[in-house]
Amino acid sequence: MKRKPFTLTLQNAMLAVGLVFSSASFAQAPATPPAAAIPPTWAQGRTPEQVALNLVPHPPGMTALPANEIPTDKLKVPAGFKVELWASGMPNARSMVQTPKGTLFVGTRFPGNVYAVVEKDGKREVKTIAKGLHRPNGVAFKDGSLYVAELSRIIRYDNIEANLDNPPAPVVVFDALPKDEAHGWKFMKLSPDGNYLYFQIGTPANITVQPVTHAVIVRLNLKTNILERVAEGVRNSVGMDFHPVTKELWFTNNGRDWVNDDLPNDTLHRLTRKGMNFGYPFCHQGDLLDLDFGKGRSCDEFDKPVLKIGPHVAALGMRFYTGKQFPAEYTNNIVIAEHGSWNRTKKTGFDVVRVALDAKGNVTKKEVFVSGWVQGEEFWGRPADVHVMKDGTMLVSDDVAGAIFRISYSK
Amino acid sequence: MFFHTSKAIQGMAFFLTSLLAMQAWAAPDAIAGKAKAQVCSACHGENGISSIVGTPHLAAQPPLSIFYQLLQFRDQRRKGGGMEAIAATLSEQDMRDIAAHYSAQTPPSPHTGGDAIKISQGQQIAQQQYCSSCHGAQLQGQKHVPRLSGQSTEYFVTQLRNLRSGARADMDGTMASAARSLTDDEIEAMAAYARSLP
Repeated sequence: MKRKPFTLTLQNAMLAVGLVFSSASFAQAPATPPAAAIPPTWAQGRTPEQVALNLVPHPPGMTALPANEIPTDKLKVPAGFKVELWASGMPNARSMVQTPKGTLFVGTRFPGNVYAVVEKDGKREVKTIAKGLHRPNGVAFKDGSLYVAELSRIIRYDNIEANLDNPPAPVVVFDALPKDEAHGWKFMKLSPDGNYLYFQIGTPANITVQPVTHAVIVRLNLKTNILERVAEGVRNSVGMDFHPVTKELWFTNNGRDWVNDDLPNDTLHRLTRKGMNFGYPFCHQGDLLDLDFGKGRSCDEFDKPVLKIGPHVAALGMRFYTGKQFPAEYTNNIVIAEHGSWNRTKKTGFDVVRVALDAKGNVTKKEVFVSGWVQGEEFWGRPADVHVMKDGTMLVSDDVAGAIFRISYSK
Repeated sequence: MFFHTSKAIQGMAFFLTSLLAMQAWAAPDAIAGKAKAQVCSACHGENGISSIVGTPHLAAQPPLSIFYQLLQFRDQRRKGGGMEAIAATLSEQDMRDIAAHYSAQTPPSPHTGGDAIKISQGQQIAQQQYCSSCHGAQLQGQKHVPRLSGQSTEYFVTQLRNLRSGARADMDGTMASAARSLTDDEIEAMAAYARSLP
């Protein structure tokens, strides 16, 4: 059965994909065949042959490994660097933001918790400051307030650091975001001028012609509460940061599934002007037309990524290394947490990589910085985000171990 | 022929993968789990086959599916059957041990002699709804996704209705969207099909 030509609605695009899978014949046909259903979003775009590969997403991290069962010694770093367990007991710990006073806030995707890690009298303590939120993955901090990006709204906890043991009810900042679960959790970042919250609205499927509201990066003006698009054609970005010198937005993007083991790549992008379009769903990684949706299109229509990071690596949180502790060659490197693959017959990712840039912003090098989460084809943890501390050390969150590691350097 | 062989290999691969994945966690202990499961057996049966209508069979469930449901009961993200109170008394190690115990039990025997037309309709709907994408080719469950084969029809129907209405929240919205379009008749047909599977 051939796929139907796509039309410009989400529903029809999904049905077109659905039809491919409903072609099996059955012993007994009902009088009125039910409408073709929509497959689980992760299975959209899968061919009948690929069903036999038995690739399914990994179980989400729902719990935290006890501190004494976390195999920190398996993590490998370059000579001179050291890894230690910094905090644990935080199921599904993902995105991180730190306040000027030093409190680290940590968002989650599955348990609905937000954590605060505080140091008091030389002791580090984890507090759960919010429970029961809906995919509170994104965190940002401004003027004493913690902003949390849930699936479909942005909320704010005022004067939060003075009330960590008894947090106030959140103020709803913006609640008109789409409610799609697929790629609906958000990475959020405050702009350098403090006026905007940047976050993504991911595509609501693996591969589909998305509504214009989706597969975009947007920013919310905190003074006017106006939401505007800054980038489109971005399948799902779960990591972004502003260049410390140029203040341009850089972000990671997760490529589509079900092409093959080696294509397409996850990508690194640089936003040099508002309104750039990076090609999804028509063109992937800047030079690969989509087999179905790319028909009649050209990759030349779209803006290009600055780097192909690797296929299926799940490039999530990224930061520029702005600290002073690491060797000089790390200055202004981009450090990226690769959550690790599921849609690939051999595992890839499950590490932290660094990307070096020249003065013009061209990529000059990419290499593994922290590895060891995967042993053979089994993993014990998955890096989700990175964060540069004031002292120049770097934190790495792990949403399967429910922990945060610290990387430090000494000559 | 090839099809069946590759299925068997895949099945074995899954089995080994789950075993290895289990080892990465805190070595769950099925023997200890049996003792800890005393409180469960009153309703779910000593061997995970419940004789109470509407109470799920736990035998041969993937261990991670039992563990994850217990976590959700504990955190009150899933409610029902008084499970929130029971889960609140269990440590995560208890949950893993109990899960290891029930997952090692013999699966419920498939129901024979059901309504053949209904079962066939249920099979067709299950295929159109892509159930096997997550629940496995024989709906045997995998990783954190529960086994449906041989499951109590009353339990199956109640859960799908609750997922459809939103009374039961699922982990990532997949089941809510799958259940949204189903009629009561379709749910009952799928329950009959699942119950007929070994």
